[in-house]
Amino acid sequence: MKKLWLSMTVVFFGLILLAGCVSEESAGSGNSGSSDGETSGSSGEGESSSGESGSDDGNTDIAVVPKLVGIPYFNASETGAEQAGEDLGVNVEYTGPTEADAAAQVKVIEDLISQGMDTIAVAPNDPASVEPVLKKAKEQGINVMDWDTPADKELVDLSVKQVDDEEFGRHMAEKLVEAMGTEDGKIAILTGGLSAANLNLWIEAAKKEFNENYPNIEIVSEKIPTEEKQQVAYQKTLDLLKSYPDLDGVLAVSTPAPLGAAQAVQEQGVQDEVSVVGSALPTDSEPFLEDGSLDTAVLWNPKKLGYLTVALGKMLAEGEMPEDGQQIENVGEITVKDDGKTVIMGPPQDFTKENASDFDF
Amino acid sequence: MKLLLKQKEFSVLAIILIITVILSFVSPVFLTVQNWLDIIEGNTVIGILAIGMTLIIITSDIDVSVAALTTAVTVSIGYLFQFLPDNWSSVVLIFLIAPLIGMLLGAFNGLLVSRIKIPAIVVTLGTLNIFSGLVLYITNGNYINSTNFPDSFLAFSNIEMAGIPILIYLFALVAFGTWFILKYTLIGRSVLAIGGNAQSSVRVGINFEKVKMFVFSYMGFLGGIAAIAQTSYTSAIDPNGLAGMELTVIAAVVLGGANIHGGRGSIPGTLLGVLLLAIMQNGMILARIDVFWQNVVTGAIIVIAVSYDEINHRRNQEKLSNIDVKEAS
Repeated sequence: MKKLWLSMTVVFFGLILLAGCVSEESAGSGNSGSSDGETSGSSGEGESSSGESGSDDGNTDIAVVPKLVGIPYFNASETGAEQAGEDLGVNVEYTGPTEADAAAQVKVIEDLISQGMDTIAVAPNDPASVEPVLKKAKEQGINVMDWDTPADKELVDLSVKQVDDEEFGRHMAEKLVEAMGTEDGKIAILTGGLSAANLNLWIEAAKKEFNENYPNIEIVSEKIPTEEKQQVAYQKTLDLLKSYPDLDGVLAVSTPAPLGAAQAVQEQGVQDEVSVVGSALPTDSEPFLEDGSLDTAVLWNPKKLGYLTVALGKMLAEGEMPEDGQQIENVGEITVKDDGKTVIMGPPQDFTKENASDFDF
Repeated sequence: MKLLLKQKEFSVLAIILIITVILSFVSPVFLTVQNWLDIIEGNTVIGILAIGMTLIIITSDIDVSVAALTTAVTVSIGYLFQFLPDNWSSVVLIFLIAPLIGMLLGAFNGLLVSRIKIPAIVVTLGTLNIFSGLVLYITNGNYINSTNFPDSFLAFSNIEMAGIPILIYLFALVAFGTWFILKYTLIGRSVLAIGGNAQSSVRVGINFEKVKMFVFSYMGFLGGIAAIAQTSYTSAIDPNGLAGMELTVIAAVVLGGANIHGGRGSIPGTLLGVLLLAIMQNGMILARIDVFWQNVVTGAIIVIAVSYDEINHRRNQEKLSNIDVKEAS
């Protein structure tokens, strides 16, 4: 009896392993290397580039590494990156860890280095921990860039940013004041986690905006962490509404937080008294935008970000650098900062009741 | 023996009372019916999972796959919603299917633990990864919002009876049912017996494998119910929404006086553990405590509660052994 169970489990796990292998193979084509005409399967290969590092098939290989795979935000940027790969005739390898784990991400980058990429673009979970592996990539002649979240500035050839942090924070603050309809009120700030660097930058910028331009806005408490979870943001907002009955607005930073805050406002039926503005994806926030429990969701277009990353990765591989004010097809005009390597995609994008249904991410 | 049982939960209860008194002075909102209903409703999912976990911890095992299992069921519910008709039968169907899926997943854990005798922590760490991996593979992490839900399910989540939300009734039913099983049924007593001393309970004729199978399947069953609660509470399905929840669940059970080595634990104790964690979360904002201090305070209270309980327990054990020695001499 025991033997039967044992063998059944062995078979079961064997099957799982096998399934894993199959999908890996299909994902990792292109790099299977020395074998002959197999790689011609990928479309749009005509435009063979002059990439300096000798990749096996003469095509430009660009690796885009997100913080993690399998969340809507990074799925949207994957769509954009793959679109760019097709449009520009480059091989795009979009791969990352399944959790936002710094060590797992390093391993992914190690693998990519040994596959011989022309450009590796990383959205680091922890800038410090990817430093050694990015150095290694550079030593092997691979172009290194970061996207979405900055890595060590000295190390990267290019740094792609979705928005200017300062501008983004200030923009959210402005939108909140606009939604509240008063420059004199009490607000609370929800955040994903206390240690998230970019969220902190946005909150700082938003606070600066309040201080400088709307001095009568009172922030009732320190920023409140919500563990990147909607239900936590929901509970905390309920608590806030009870604790501060005269609250006028909630600024919710991190993508699940505005949804939770809006859910609380919706359930309490205080859409007209309490305004919610935050960073969220349009499809997720649609039911809350519709009845005004979420006033505006502010973010950027993650698809375009993925597209831009690949487009710039290709430029790097061809030895070019982007210029300030350059037009990138399907993205728009980009800004290059004074250091010559920080690229800003554009202004933040507002998602409102009127336009939310136009987007598919 | 009765006195001992009382003392086991006493420490948590005392701390809850102290915090309640302090918080009601600090914040006028804290001690209102509405606030307490919010607290309980908000912790229904953790509470239901903690009740299942109590049984597992009593048998000196642990299940770290609960959050992943529950997420797997929520995602299945999301898929079912696409096919279900928009009337009350779909709510009934969900209540039949979701616990069943959960139970199957839990039984898979139970099978590996009881038949092949792999330590539960290894098994459930594995299944944690299998479940969450499959969920991410199938859903690609996509969030499903309430626009895809049948209206009847949304109506179900908004039901209130005598001003109390339906989820609280569900929670109470699960708590009472499990308490009853543990106290008055053969299988429930076997759970406690195995936790107390596995070897002698087997010698008495308790089927070890059957009991292990039961506790893990029951955990899965409750995971299915918790999945319904989670879906109706957030009116959305988020494949990442429960990540890391297993630690809170285990913390609540241990706070409630269950011994991680087995044999000790009760449903009322676990409920108090859940309540303690919940009112601390709630009270911190109401009391307007600075966020950076909230974690420190939460941690400190947990340490105090657990060490008080542990010291008490040891003292009682010493007393017991004293009596033994005296009687023998």
